[in-house]
Amino acid sequence: MHADPISHEPRALIIEDEILIAEELRDRLSRLGFSVIAAVDSGEEGVAIATRERPDLVLMDIRLKGEIDGVQAANEIRRHVDVPIVYLTAHSDRSTVERAKQTEHDGFLMKSFLRRELQSTLEVAMQRHAIRAKLKKQ
Amino acid sequence: MSLPTVRLGSVVPSHFLKRQLDVIGVGSLGTLGVLIAWHRPAQWLLTTNFLPHAYCYLSNRALVWTNVVADSLIGIAYLAISVTLGYLGYKGRRDIPYHGMFLAFGLFILGCGGTHFVEAVTVWIPVYILAAVVKVLTAAVSLTTAAVLPFTVPHVFDMIRQAKTTEQRTAELRASEERKDALLQEVHHRVKNNLAVICSLFYLQSTHSKDEETVQIFQDMENRVHSIALVHESLYGSENLARIDFAKYAQGLAEGILASHGSPGVHVDLKTELEPVTMGVDLAIPCGLILNELVSNAFRHGFPDGMGGNIKLTLHSDREGRFTLCVQDSGVGIPSGVDVNMSQSLGLKLVRLLTKQIRGSFELVRSDPGTSAHLHFSVNHHAC
Repeated sequence: MHADPISHEPRALIIEDEILIAEELRDRLSRLGFSVIAAVDSGEEGVAIATRERPDLVLMDIRLKGEIDGVQAANEIRRHVDVPIVYLTAHSDRSTVERAKQTEHDGFLMKSFLRRELQSTLEVAMQRHAIRAKLKKQ
Repeated sequence: MSLPTVRLGSVVPSHFLKRQLDVIGVGSLGTLGVLIAWHRPAQWLLTTNFLPHAYCYLSNRALVWTNVVADSLIGIAYLAISVTLGYLGYKGRRDIPYHGMFLAFGLFILGCGGTHFVEAVTVWIPVYILAAVVKVLTAAVSLTTAAVLPFTVPHVFDMIRQAKTTEQRTAELRASEERKDALLQEVHHRVKNNLAVICSLFYLQSTHSKDEETVQIFQDMENRVHSIALVHESLYGSENLARIDFAKYAQGLAEGILASHGSPGVHVDLKTELEPVTMGVDLAIPCGLILNELVSNAFRHGFPDGMGGNIKLTLHSDREGRFTLCVQDSGVGIPSGVDVNMSQSLGLKLVRLLTKQIRGSFELVRSDPGTSAHLHFSVNHHAC
């Protein structure tokens, strides 16, 4: 984990099962100054890359291909690396969203409001995470 | 869901029972009438030249009172039970099968109660003839009830079987309803997902163009498809899979549109005043598309060159249930001499076409300041 995000482009990992939506996210993130290290469509792959690459941010869809869903993948990633995770949701999967809210996370992003909320949600998520990391150190 | 009423195969015993009860009732009332009108039989009935029971008890106070109190209490209890059964049989004569059986049991228990009351009296007053008559009447009612009861047994079993089948069918229906809902939810999710992919395609295509006008066209298309996708998203998350909360939808849609048009340093605020209303898909989609055009237009034409201001979105209904959706901006307004209702822009053309589809009416007027667009429509024509 890099303490000072200004010194380099923050590195983001996208875990999203719809490849074209992932591509849109990749484009939007690069416009916001992120370097996207990968966009994958399964939780297992996401966990492997996050553990190996230690990104500065993970954008996680809750519905995923493969055996595990986004909430399980996020828990698994957190066991290995300390990284801000922002869930991507369609706000309607209520029960899943409730389950996701109970796990530690740094933000929620409605897929329908990418344009409106992407930047602010990511900024807040990274700040929140930085503060939490600082508190843990003390 | 209402349960189907249980139909009986045969009601013969019930008819038979009713006739018996009628005979007993008329007989008892007749006897009572004769006794009142002609006091000789009454005197005979109330003959007391026997030894009261107290003699048998050797006037043992404890024994006498124990018997009297116990008999009275039993009598009171029987009376209460028969009143309840009688009430049930009478009130439920349309809904309870074999309600006559309740009346028969009530009468039979009433008779039993009567024998106990007489027992309590004969401790001191030896009206043994009355006691015997009460017992004979009770025996008649009991025998009738006993004779009729076995006939009802097969029918009761039938009813139980039918009730069980009904219960099973209800459970099956409920399960299939749940499966249908889950499937419908999945369909809405997929439709929304596919529309989201189309939005991404428009976005990605727009990033490959340097021409601002082309980028704008793709963004407009993305917004239009997005307004439809949002209806499906609202649907599959709602309790009711057929209707959406339009106020919530409109708020989210308008916020999204402003965000998509927004550029740094431009501040156009959104104010909303939306009356709650639910709509079916057939109305929500055209309304959403119209709203998308109106808010986009207000932003684009009302606030040129980075000008700030606000857009007010209201939804009100009148007493007849007609709704008015209003988009009002505080922007520069329509230049004088321009008739917007003759405008050939695609946005306004879509608004006019969709207004026709929902059988509504639309007008764009100069307000002070800016412009306001009013859409009138009725929700009831589109009841789902």
